[in-house]
Amino acid sequence: MKLFHELLESSAAAHGHLCPGQVVGVRMAMLGCRLIGLDETTQRDQIKKLIVYVEMDRCTADAVAHVSGVKLGRRSLKFADYGIMAATFLNLETGKAFRVVSTEEARDLATVYAPEVSGKSRQQLTAYCCMPDSVLFRVQQVRVPIKPVDLPGPTQRKVTCGSCGQVVRDGREVVSGGGYVCRPCAEGAYFSNAREVTWADMNWAPGEAPELSASHDHGHHFKNPGKRHAEVIALR
Amino acid sequence: MLKRISVQDAVGTQLAHDITEIRPGEFKGATFRKGHTVCNEDICHLQRLGKNHLYVIDLAEDEIHENEAAAVLAGALAGEGVAWVNNPKEGKIGIKAAIDGLLSVNTAALAAFNMVEEVMCATLHTHTLVTKGKLVGATRAIPLVMKRAPVERAAAIARQNGGVLSVRALRKAKAGIVVTGSEVFNGLIQDRFAPILTDKVTSLGSEVAGVTFAPDDADLIRQAIVSHLENGCDLILLSGGMSVDPDDVTRQAIRQAGATEMHYGASALPGAMFLSAWIGDVPLLGVPACGLYHRTTVLDLVLPRILAGERIGKKDLAFFGHGGLCQDCPECVFPYCAFGKGA
Repeated sequence: MKLFHELLESSAAAHGHLCPGQVVGVRMAMLGCRLIGLDETTQRDQIKKLIVYVEMDRCTADAVAHVSGVKLGRRSLKFADYGIMAATFLNLETGKAFRVVSTEEARDLATVYAPEVSGKSRQQLTAYCCMPDSVLFRVQQVRVPIKPVDLPGPTQRKVTCGSCGQVVRDGREVVSGGGYVCRPCAEGAYFSNAREVTWADMNWAPGEAPELSASHDHGHHFKNPGKRHAEVIALR
Repeated sequence: MLKRISVQDAVGTQLAHDITEIRPGEFKGATFRKGHTVCNEDICHLQRLGKNHLYVIDLAEDEIHENEAAAVLAGALAGEGVAWVNNPKEGKIGIKAAIDGLLSVNTAALAAFNMVEEVMCATLHTHTLVTKGKLVGATRAIPLVMKRAPVERAAAIARQNGGVLSVRALRKAKAGIVVTGSEVFNGLIQDRFAPILTDKVTSLGSEVAGVTFAPDDADLIRQAIVSHLENGCDLILLSGGMSVDPDDVTRQAIRQAGATEMHYGASALPGAMFLSAWIGDVPLLGVPACGLYHRTTVLDLVLPRILAGERIGKKDLAFFGHGGLCQDCPECVFPYCAFGKGA
């Protein structure tokens, strides 16, 4: 794994700013990966062994994902909406899992670890860099019974909602009245009053697909990224 | 796990913890020690102490007794130059200075340690001068029985950078003193600084190699500094010329002598016009006139730390601020007061 400061710099660049949450997230991921015996999780031989559950959608979550290399679309990043500054690191090969919880006391201790720094955010940032893991985190060994439909890999299951006709993947349907229904129909959704509309320039299309090459780990890659970049600029 | 039993049913069982007796103004201590087997004669005594029930302990695998916890904690807290004995009294273990020297407390680690649930450690202030055998800290687990994991996490925190408590021996310096001021040099008044500074140096186990008097002339003061350095002095104290008058040229002289680092002003009273400078690894301490009048000044805060190997800089002088106001008590108990130890 890269050095802490390199990871923090690239994580902050990817996230958009450097903040105390980035420090906590980078360190959380470094510790979590180390605990489950994976040191190069962004490398091809380890990338498919790791699942990370983040329990908050805050700056820390981005840093955890950046350092550990997990991605929502790869199904290696799971979001448990608990509002807790914690993440669980699961090694799919060994089944070992550790939940790393950011301690609340670390916030109070920022003043003693970085007394010379003024400003709450800067003080926390400095302090979180020099606190030992034992102060910054609590760790629990946990069991994570992951269902086959939650694992990375091709879609295993598709059903059609008996109410609205939408295709539902990966077992997220609800059994209702002897048939399958999507969750928005069964439980209500985060949106309401859905009404289909048309929009301006609705026949726009990007044109020809770029030249692609098959990849070993997942899907395809651009054969000539430079050419693609030129096309994108031309489109603007 | 703790099981509660009636004291009458306790005969033949072993006490789970020390039982404290307090007779106001007369005695406070463990009348019964952990592991004592309760006999018939003890029942009335225990009841007089307000004990109608006792605990019987059945420790689970992930639990730890307060005495064992205290030993784990003390072992982790203790750094170099301190010692402790694994003989907890009422669940507490005291940590003592194993040598004469300067107590150093990692205050950040101590705060982090105490933020862990159900453990505690209390210490003297960091930077207190202590003698061998002095109790410098004590620790205990709060409950009688607790989970092992928090104890071990607290111990890990305490172990960072070699323990929370340590005592560092003071080096034996060869000090050169430069007393500045034309009024002294020309014999208009008698110097009183040299004996005061000599006493401060020798009371810390160092020696004074020589005292030089210089008028308010930057070059002559510089020559005095260089002469002490050439004589092998590894500590230089300068008095006078530290103020704001045009005749105060000591700072200029220290710079001319080749100071690579110089900090003027300390957040302590008495001692605001203190100066700390370095020529290579040799510290130069400029003592303002308050040193003539006050028994305890910022010099008493800085000198032991310098002799304990610290390189006192701007941050250290600034951090004296909180607690840096001497109360000028009629009976001075320094170093056992808060003066200069707020940081």
